[in-house]
Amino acid sequence: MSHSNKKLLYTIIGIVVVAAIIFGLYSYAGQESFIRTVLSGLTLGSLFFLVAAGLTLIFGLMDVLNFAHGSMFMLGAYTGWQFFTNPTFIFGVLPLILAFAAGVMLVPVIKPMLVRLNLSETWQKRLPKLMYLAALIVAVFAVWKFDILGLADTAMVAAVTTSSNPLAELSAQEPLLRFMWRPLLLMISGALVAVGISKPGDRTEITAAEPLKKRLILPIVLFILTIVFTLVRESAAEAVLLMNGNLRFLLAIIVATLFGFLLGALIEVTMIRPLYVRSFFIVLMTLGLSYVIRELVSVLWDPLAYQMVRPPLFAQPGRATSIADWLMNGYSTISIAGVTFPTYRLFVIALGFVMFIFVTVLMTRSRLGMIIRAGVQDPQMVEALGINVKSVFTLVFALGVALAALGGIGAAPFLPVQPGMGDQYQMQGFITVVIGGMGSYVGAFVGAIILGMARAFGDYFALKWQLSPTIAEASTVIIMIVVLLLRPQGLFGKKD
Amino acid sequence: MITNPNEYLLSVEGIDTYIGQFHILEDVSVKVGKGSITVLLGRNGAGKTTTLKTIMGLTPPRNGRVIFDGQEIQGKRAFNIANLGIGYVPENRAIFRALTVMENLKLAERKKGDLDRHSEMIFELFPDLERLSKLKGNQLSGGQQQMLAVARALVPDNKLLLIDEPSEGLAPILIQQMMEVIRKLKEKTTILLVEQNFIMASQLAERYVIIDDGKSVHRGLMSDLVLNEELIHQYLGASIQAPTKTSEAE
Repeated sequence: MSHSNKKLLYTIIGIVVVAAIIFGLYSYAGQESFIRTVLSGLTLGSLFFLVAAGLTLIFGLMDVLNFAHGSMFMLGAYTGWQFFTNPTFIFGVLPLILAFAAGVMLVPVIKPMLVRLNLSETWQKRLPKLMYLAALIVAVFAVWKFDILGLADTAMVAAVTTSSNPLAELSAQEPLLRFMWRPLLLMISGALVAVGISKPGDRTEITAAEPLKKRLILPIVLFILTIVFTLVRESAAEAVLLMNGNLRFLLAIIVATLFGFLLGALIEVTMIRPLYVRSFFIVLMTLGLSYVIRELVSVLWDPLAYQMVRPPLFAQPGRATSIADWLMNGYSTISIAGVTFPTYRLFVIALGFVMFIFVTVLMTRSRLGMIIRAGVQDPQMVEALGINVKSVFTLVFALGVALAALGGIGAAPFLPVQPGMGDQYQMQGFITVVIGGMGSYVGAFVGAIILGMARAFGDYFALKWQLSPTIAEASTVIIMIVVLLLRPQGLFGKKD
Repeated sequence: MITNPNEYLLSVEGIDTYIGQFHILEDVSVKVGKGSITVLLGRNGAGKTTTLKTIMGLTPPRNGRVIFDGQEIQGKRAFNIANLGIGYVPENRAIFRALTVMENLKLAERKKGDLDRHSEMIFELFPDLERLSKLKGNQLSGGQQQMLAVARALVPDNKLLLIDEPSEGLAPILIQQMMEVIRKLKEKTTILLVEQNFIMASQLAERYVIIDDGKSVHRGLMSDLVLNEELIHQYLGASIQAPTKTSEAE
């Protein structure tokens, strides 16, 4: 039998088996339970996809298994939850981060001058270390007695109290006169780091060829943002809280995703890039990183579980009869073909599908997608065409983490927000990637739906037959084993 | 013939390249004159491909200098070197299998519109590619892939093309076609060629450099080399024969 005939045959067998399973489940469970379980499965599948999409893109292009992906999911949830519930913490810390970044981003500006310095070889080695040490000391002074735990507490209070006055929980920031030297010092600290990164005296370093004006843009923008956000620490938090709840939720999604993007870029540049030559260490590094992130979050917000309030569009008790009815009145549940289903979960399903379309368009229609598809096969040749592959790696890692963070904030209104909330999703994300095929985003989507369904129907049968609920979790692993036995490269994976 | 050293577009001066612990290139020097074709000759594994990769920045040299168009490029990253105007056609062709022919070409753009400006020229040289433009890289035959690999290097404005074994694995008729293409390219650009097919190399190139065991051992005019059967035999092996009258006729 020829190759294409064989493929066709397997596809037909696959479709028949899937159809038989669907029909079997439908007739066994009955319409109502079937629809409800399928919707639950799609909700879970959506979240699995958001985690798995990043994992699979990152693995496909860079061969990096990111074991901190679940932590990024969790951080997305925390960032969004903080921004939505009480952004005091975010606006309190933001100027400090911006200030430090403004300092570090001076690298392209000062590097051309510094590399030309006449330094002996010992000083070339010694100076960066001294600079980092000095930066650390300055940074310690900058955050001395900064009440970060107090700031973090603000949202915790807000989470447990309910009040009709949205500003009731808003707490004061440190007075400007006491605060303002912190960003100033951090900027100096960042600049010292920048001097270290620039490798003073090292003439072999290649310096940017862009004109000075262009190189100054980023540090200046960050500098201005630092000043602005230093001044609006309180009023910005107030403005956010007075905003319409739905708009605030939308902003929270954007903030969490953006945060994920920037965090991803930072992690790739500082921690993963030096380890590409020793890829096994990346696994250990990301695993360690996930523990560090989780402990940091536990320190800031205690290892408690918080429940984020649903935005008004999904909060009104009652049942909508149609989508229009829901959008008008913001009911918390909706009736679909006789089944009552939470409206927020519909939103999560939509989020997953929209992001799948986004990733598809990105991969098939954009130049970046073209570069990624080419880079998966041969990054060296892509580089030889004149494309900066390193920065593409950074971008893809950042995108992947952004998707995970988006999943986190998407999950926050119906999952408890807690330090370990990403672990399960990371595990399922990896299983999804294995089922779908390493590096394939379509595979990630199909795999996520399959896993979501397995979990949902597993739960359904566990309840019905009074089995242990862990059967649902086990079912996903069983599916993975079956797929690995029948098709080791995954459903949509390519044989190497 | 070039007498003024400033006329060299590329000048590789005493490079040492290591891959892992292996000393692959030792004091290799190659000079390529503007508007000429220079060919690197040598046995399999002599270091010809590594020389191209070293110029391209894919295997950076430990010592020595690479001067392209008046500036030192050794130690720069490959994408920076490419953006100075060097096109690379690797020996394994490295066509992107998951991309269509059109996408493969599009990816090679350095400025927007590069492909539009050059597509007429490219499709005139390789009429097949226009017909195949919607096919994926993995659906092309070896010859078509080779055409695409060369075409890809023509998309941006390149001052220098590094072409590694364009005739490898091609049917004789395609080798003729490829030779014609390279001859036409010479009018627009400068080429550093690696070619095992001595007949092809001798008809295309003005100058040669013989690389043997990682060292550049001999250089000169192609017209002198073809008369020196002893040298050919010593460095290029018995399998390669000097062109005869019949093979030169087209």
